[in-house]
Amino acid sequence: MTPARTNPAMAALRNRVWLVTLSALIALFVINWILQPNLVTPNVLKSNLTVFLPVVLVAIGQSYVILGGDIDLSVGSIVALVNVVTVSVIAALGGGVPAIFAGIGAGILTGVACGLVNGLLIAGLRFQAIVTTFATGIIFGGLALRILPTAGLPVPAEYWRTYGGAVLGLPVVLWVLILALVIIAIIARRPFIKHLSAVGGLRQAAFQSGLPVARIRILAYVLAGLFAAFASLCLTGETASGDPLMGRLLALSSISAVVLGGAALAGGSGSAFGAVLGALVLGMIGNVIFFARFPFEYQTLIQGLITLLALAGGVLVARR
Amino acid sequence: MTLLLKAESITKRYGAVVALSDGGLELEQGEIHALLGANGCGKSTLCKIIAGTVAKNSGTLSILGRAVEIGGPREAEALGVALFYQELSLVPQLSVADNIFLGREQRSGAGFLDARALRRDTEQLIARFAEVAGAGFSADALVSDLSPDQRQIVEILKVLARKPRIIIFDEATAALDRNQVALFFAILRELKAEGVSSIFITHRMDEVFEITDRITVMRNGATVARFVTAETDRQAVVHAMVGDVTALAERPAARPRSDKPARLVLESVGNKRVQQVSLSLRPGEIVGLGGLQGQGQSSLLQGLFGAAPFTSGTIRLDGEQVRISRPSHAIGKGIAYVSGDRGRDAAFHGRSIFENIAAASFSKERPAMVWPGRLRERFTKAAATLSTKYAGLSAPIGSLSGGNQQKIFIARWLATQPSVLLLDDPTKGIDLGAKADFFALARRLADEGAAILFYSSEDAELLSLCDRILVFNSGAVAGELEGEALTAYNLTNAAYGRAA
Ligand SMILES: Nc1ncnc2c1ncn2[C@@H]1O[C@H](COP(=O)(O)OP(=O)(O)OP(=O)(O)O)[C@@H](O)[C@H]1O
Ligand SMILES: [Mg+2]
Repeated sequence: MTPARTNPAMAALRNRVWLVTLSALIALFVINWILQPNLVTPNVLKSNLTVFLPVVLVAIGQSYVILGGDIDLSVGSIVALVNVVTVSVIAALGGGVPAIFAGIGAGILTGVACGLVNGLLIAGLRFQAIVTTFATGIIFGGLALRILPTAGLPVPAEYWRTYGGAVLGLPVVLWVLILALVIIAIIARRPFIKHLSAVGGLRQAAFQSGLPVARIRILAYVLAGLFAAFASLCLTGETASGDPLMGRLLALSSISAVVLGGAALAGGSGSAFGAVLGALVLGMIGNVIFFARFPFEYQTLIQGLITLLALAGGVLVARR
Repeated sequence: MTLLLKAESITKRYGAVVALSDGGLELEQGEIHALLGANGCGKSTLCKIIAGTVAKNSGTLSILGRAVEIGGPREAEALGVALFYQELSLVPQLSVADNIFLGREQRSGAGFLDARALRRDTEQLIARFAEVAGAGFSADALVSDLSPDQRQIVEILKVLARKPRIIIFDEATAALDRNQVALFFAILRELKAEGVSSIFITHRMDEVFEITDRITVMRNGATVARFVTAETDRQAVVHAMVGDVTALAERPAARPRSDKPARLVLESVGNKRVQQVSLSLRPGEIVGLGGLQGQGQSSLLQGLFGAAPFTSGTIRLDGEQVRISRPSHAIGKGIAYVSGDRGRDAAFHGRSIFENIAAASFSKERPAMVWPGRLRERFTKAAATLSTKYAGLSAPIGSLSGGNQQKIFIARWLATQPSVLLLDDPTKGIDLGAKADFFALARRLADEGAAILFYSSEDAELLSLCDRILVFNSGAVAGELEGEALTAYNLTNAAYGRAA
């Protein structure tokens, strides 16, 4: 339509839907604080972050795929597969410090390989993203069960102690979050992010502009696999053992987080930073419900309602 | 003169459809070369082959005498070829600056985006068009917020930013008004002076004779004639394009105003971009909306159609006050809206031609069940009135040439038999023959009692079709021309706010 003379504040907001997510996050934080007065103590904050971190990481990876106009339903299974690969490698190599590093390396490679498979099938062979990652998700999950049929196989104490500990006075979980933020800040300043938005916004136009469309989409899936691997390594540090069914709900919560963070599922708009905020909002909603002591049978219901409410804020701003 | 680009016996098939059977073109260094032909004759296809976005089936391309295989847009760019896409190659979600430099972003030493350089370069490019681009045209504006002419300007800048030596402009002027075209031509001439060669596709004959050096004409997928512009005339060229056609119908001699009661009355309506517009439209009348690009003509039509609803004033339809705050209200009252902005307003991308025609009929008639067989017949007839060239109603809309797509959207609304027809630059991209048919059709609808509001970015169209013209300036009616006063001279003057 004709360019509307909207007021500039609204226009600025429309391009920064994550500001709405940030407000929701602050509001939820305050409510949580009121309900749980000891929230702002180092230990409670740290344990909260430990719980939220896996969703945050998976959501970051998912945000790139969605920005490119695709979707990845297999990230939960990638988390499981990375976990069992890591613990198996560590166990097979005897459980020393070098074995831990080898396990982490193997886990990261596994995540990248899974993302590559998704990307090649979808961007290379032009399979439908939803159905393909639904199927590869089942396959990755099946592989995880094949490698480690039942939960178990504890990781060495060095692994989970380090993960639960502190470096230079800051908890390791916080370092992980900082590192993730640095990575997304770097990616956000690379031409890649523009190319990815173009591919998700209008694929035809991206191709006509000379962009290597398939390579860009594959790279987004690889990033999703990589961040799923990071999430898995964190979860492994938290649970301290292997679990082939780990992370089953992560695909849907990561997608919710990305949308809460202001991305359009159709692609072309949104940011990884928004996804981080969205994931934190999802986590805080869980906290608030827990501490508000709603009767158990209402918790899920209320969780759904608050999530809708948080989503509505972004929709109202983004709509013209 | 050196021969820069030569395309010879190019062929291209899409399944059973032959888009090109014998495409050919010879482009010399530093010339402006017109590529002409009716809708669907293969102009865009030939250009996309040269620009590497479509693969040819056979034929040869050579640049400076050397045969080249152009495997993709990247390779074309490396050879110095850039294409202005008829359907544009812009990403709506990205800003003007990001679109112009997409894929060739300015980088700092470490490979990061250099936002400052991006802004500086964009502003330099934009500056040339600042005078004529209208409100809201800036480096940071999102392309989705721009008007059709502004988006064409972005596409032009995007092509120029690649600094090519061969530029193909596929209907780059289709949505531009007189001033914008003038500026664009000035740039073309500068490029020519620098030795850049341009291929220029248009359906506006005046432009061909104003700017081009030579002409290549295509017909049904084959190159059929070549002319030197200075040595030929309009008739010869048109004849080569389409055979014998009736020229654009002359405006009928001023007819006495019918004294039927008004069909549509607007009393000081306004929305975001028009203020205090009043007008009255009788059945059988075709009223033009003139003036420079973006003075509120489209907004008035969109307001009437409920797409950008009026926030003040009243609308009367056949004497009765009505409220139109959504397109469905308007459709229910027999109002139809043909937009020239097909990419955004009209097309259901990826859907069939049938569905694209059916959309408006469905929302008007709200059938409980659909019998495609019966509709098929009706739609076939509607499409045939404008001699649309298509493989079948079930083919996807994207398989049509630009002009033929536009004909489908006109057919969509004609199939609803509207009593008020709103035409918003409806002829964008359609060829001379079809335009004449369309004008005759609009005239016939009016004679049967429809009331028509017509906006065009091309003054000649307004002058040949309208009974009277309201000239817009800054969202308000600045003047009205009628009868003897309907001349190009008066229209231009009124557009600039001088007395007619
Ligand atoms: N992707 C496609 N699939 C099938 N047919 C196609 C496709 N693209 C073009 N065609 C057909 O090829 C023919 C030539 O189309 P083209 O777009 O080159 O015409 P054009 O000369 O540019 O017309 P216009 O003036 O309307 O833009 C048309 O008949 C069209 O239907
Ligand atoms: Mg074309």
